[in-house]
Amino acid sequence: MKARLASALLLVVLLGAWEAWCRLGNVPALIVPAPSAVFATLWGEIASGRLFPHLAITATEMTLGLALGSLIGLGAGILLAEADFLRRLLHPYIVASQVVPKLALGPLFIIWFGFGLTPTVVITALICFFPLMENTLTGLSRVDPSRRELFRMLGACRAQTLLRLKLPSALPVILAGFRVAVVLALVGAVVGEFIGGRAGLGASIIAAQSVMDSSLMFALFIVITLLGMAFYQAALLLERLLLRHHLKG
Amino acid sequence: MSTEPATKPFVAIEAVHFGYGEEATVDRIDWAIPRGAFHCLVGRSGCGKTTLLKLAAGLLLPQEGCVRIGGAVLTGPGERIGFVFQQPTLLDWLSVLDNVLLPLSLKRGLRSEDREKAHALLDLVSLGDYAQRYPWQLSGGQQSRVAVARALITEPDLLLLDEPFAALDALTREELQDDLLALCAHHATTVLFVTHDIGEAVYLADRVAIMAAGRLHHEMAVDLPRPRGRELRYGQPFNALCRELRRAMDAAS
Repeated sequence: MKARLASALLLVVLLGAWEAWCRLGNVPALIVPAPSAVFATLWGEIASGRLFPHLAITATEMTLGLALGSLIGLGAGILLAEADFLRRLLHPYIVASQVVPKLALGPLFIIWFGFGLTPTVVITALICFFPLMENTLTGLSRVDPSRRELFRMLGACRAQTLLRLKLPSALPVILAGFRVAVVLALVGAVVGEFIGGRAGLGASIIAAQSVMDSSLMFALFIVITLLGMAFYQAALLLERLLLRHHLKG
Repeated sequence: MSTEPATKPFVAIEAVHFGYGEEATVDRIDWAIPRGAFHCLVGRSGCGKTTLLKLAAGLLLPQEGCVRIGGAVLTGPGERIGFVFQQPTLLDWLSVLDNVLLPLSLKRGLRSEDREKAHALLDLVSLGDYAQRYPWQLSGGQQSRVAVARALITEPDLLLLDEPFAALDALTREELQDDLLALCAHHATTVLFVTHDIGEAVYLADRVAIMAAGRLHHEMAVDLPRPRGRELRYGQPFNALCRELRRAMDAAS
């Protein structure tokens, strides 16, 4: 509690210092706007109702991309962990595909899927896919050998071993991958909008840049940061819920 | 099973050989356990006793020789065999009750009588109040008790135990030994128990053998009266048997 209070106090001090620097140093508002101006702009955007449609679009892209990428990543991780042959066959290609900067594929996706939601969701999904797949693969292959022996001894079939031993054992590792994916999903959604979005927080930043409105850009940074923190907290909550019976520590 | 002649052993380990690589871990071992008997194997770490136990369970298959349970050659993890591992190997996301029920729930849907049976078993290992707890909320001794209850829920004909109490303190170990004897006597379970603790082997077993470098040495019958109690551990016959076993162990290694 004391640490939290100190954190909040630090924020106030930093904002105060920033405000003072802008006012006393005569910093041009185009380069660094004062916090008071940024909050005024932010409030204006909220009050006018201009902000929420963009926020909703970015949140939707993030959610869809995260869900799609995570599900496919989980599925691929399970498949590669269970089928040794497939792993040896495909893993080098999957790693190679992850080294390709996916944001560079944006322009191509616009040709394929047109402007709007779809290319951004696809980019986000591609970015989220890898941490889920990699962590699922790692988690599933690290199940305690004596527990595996227990399941063999109990005559469990392959599907039972997967569903009732391997996946629950791997769950902490899989969820750690999910947490990474959540952070990456925001990057995917915002940068995806830079390239091909007409609406959304990323597209709004590009629009603000074109009219040199720095304080609107800063206001949007704040919104994007809060959105990311909300998703991250939700992921932590989900993790705590799903792992409530798992071994602590 | 009832047609089986009384003289025929329930578990027959016949010239069983197993090695990892060149060296033999289990070197042509013969061993027979009559139905309902409690046998112990004593040996230092790395003498091959865990491997022998896994061969008896069907978790490993012998490279030569065979293991027969009730006359039939074992070709894989046996249906009627319970196994207690060195570690409790409980699933930490399941409650104590669900851990005990695991062997049944992997085979079929659970019935209300299964839950009653699990509760009864937990009562027997004095964990009746802990059914809804989770393994990480239990002490090491309590976890071992749950592991024993889990192995017994299917009422196995043969129970194999691999140093299940090795990590526990001496007092808890003694309590668990008494619990195990009571549970096995209750169902007339045939038991093969592997340990490195001489006192534990003598206290539990009808028959003890020493294992060293993959071979069996110095088989010995333990003709102490049953039921065995705490006082027995301080008596002269018990200590004489322990001494004999200790000497044999030193001679073997």
